[in-house]
Amino acid sequence: MMTAVFEYFPAILDGLLTTAIVALLSIIGAAIVSVLLGVLRNSGQMHVRAAAGGAVELLRGASALVYLFWAYYALPALVPELPRFDPFIASIAVLSLVGGAYGSEIVRGGLQAVPRGQSDACRALGLRPHQALIRVILPQALSQIVPGFASLAVDLVKWTSIVSFVGVQDVLYVANSVRSITYETTAVFLIVAALYWVLCLLVSLTFLAIERTLPLNRALRASRRPTELPLKGRPLSAQPLVLQE
Amino acid sequence: MSWDWSYAAQILPDLLWGVWVTVVVTTACSAIALTGGLAIAVIGSTCGPAGRLCVRVMIELFRGVPILVLLYFGFYALPQIGVTLAPAAIGILVLGVVYAAYCSEVYRGALMTIPPGIHDACVALSLPTRVIWLRVLLPLAIQKSMPALINYVLVLYRQSAFLFAIGVPVLLARAQIAGYQSFRYLEPYTLAGLLYLLMNLPFVYLLHRYRMTNAGAHA
Repeated sequence: MMTAVFEYFPAILDGLLTTAIVALLSIIGAAIVSVLLGVLRNSGQMHVRAAAGGAVELLRGASALVYLFWAYYALPALVPELPRFDPFIASIAVLSLVGGAYGSEIVRGGLQAVPRGQSDACRALGLRPHQALIRVILPQALSQIVPGFASLAVDLVKWTSIVSFVGVQDVLYVANSVRSITYETTAVFLIVAALYWVLCLLVSLTFLAIERTLPLNRALRASRRPTELPLKGRPLSAQPLVLQE
Repeated sequence: MSWDWSYAAQILPDLLWGVWVTVVVTTACSAIALTGGLAIAVIGSTCGPAGRLCVRVMIELFRGVPILVLLYFGFYALPQIGVTLAPAAIGILVLGVVYAAYCSEVYRGALMTIPPGIHDACVALSLPTRVIWLRVLLPLAIQKSMPALINYVLVLYRQSAFLFAIGVPVLLARAQIAGYQSFRYLEPYTLAGLLYLLMNLPFVYLLHRYRMTNAGAHA
């Protein structure tokens, strides 16, 4: 019964590859936009902060689907000088911007969670603001930001399903064609649901791995190791004074 | 092609009808999501490990699959197994159930933060289980989850645009039809976008007022 679907399995895998590429590029784009907007929202200047906040509220105000339709169908009519968007590029741009607007809240929260003393210390040491941000504050904030961003990345994988509406041949687009050829509706959509599910799982596992490599998390793990040793076995007074092994 | 005001005015009533449909759909989905989520959370926290596992599996299943896939599944696959529903009903059910799974997590978190002493006190007073849940635990949990729930209703409202994919005449669908009919996409999609943005304002007001009253309560 399902053999008809398996005949088209290579095509579905092709679509899955497109979905994965769109998802990967949108996650990277959203990460860049999140950091930019998040930093701007913490800016010292009031009008910069307000403008960034306005942009975030605007981008979060409607679903990515509405923006994709607007960018793809209405924007070229509004600005005729613009070359006709490639659907692929329009999709990634919209997903990056909308995802970045949501991500900027995560980045802003992460930056604010870094103790104030850190930036004071940077200023006392004569670091420029951007040096302090890139070399001191952001690396520490990342251990707060990455877990939040992981769930956003999973959402982005799911949001990529909207690109089929502007003609990007992702897994959902292919699945719809296969459905209309084979009429094996249930099988096709179960397969696609399973594929999306696995893709989401892979993304969250990847982010768990990234989390382990973050500088602050590594430092915390390293600092925990030597202090655990004296607690085991003999009382502290009987321990030799060797802290590193 | 530049902006055409008369055309915009001509399609506006149609779009406003779409706004109304969007409001109705959002209300119906929210009702399912908010009550269903509560039911799932209560089942998950009272029915032992087996119930918890079932709830967990259901939530994880809905979390990893795009709404669009679930909508298509409901629209194309359900009739094949003999269930025929109107597209609007399918859309409302799918969105409602998916967000019930999300909301149940909010309720679960709120239930967990209720100090166990309260439950113990109720047992010590020998209140019946029904009263403990309905009059003590649930009101506390609902109060604690309020801001997160309003936020989910807001997300639901934004996601209701997806229902155009199965032909429910929400705002985005109206805009698309208007665009098809006249081959002018600039005005319909721009107006639809603006209307979608404007409809956020009631939610912003609600959240703001909630924070205000809560800040007053704590002060």
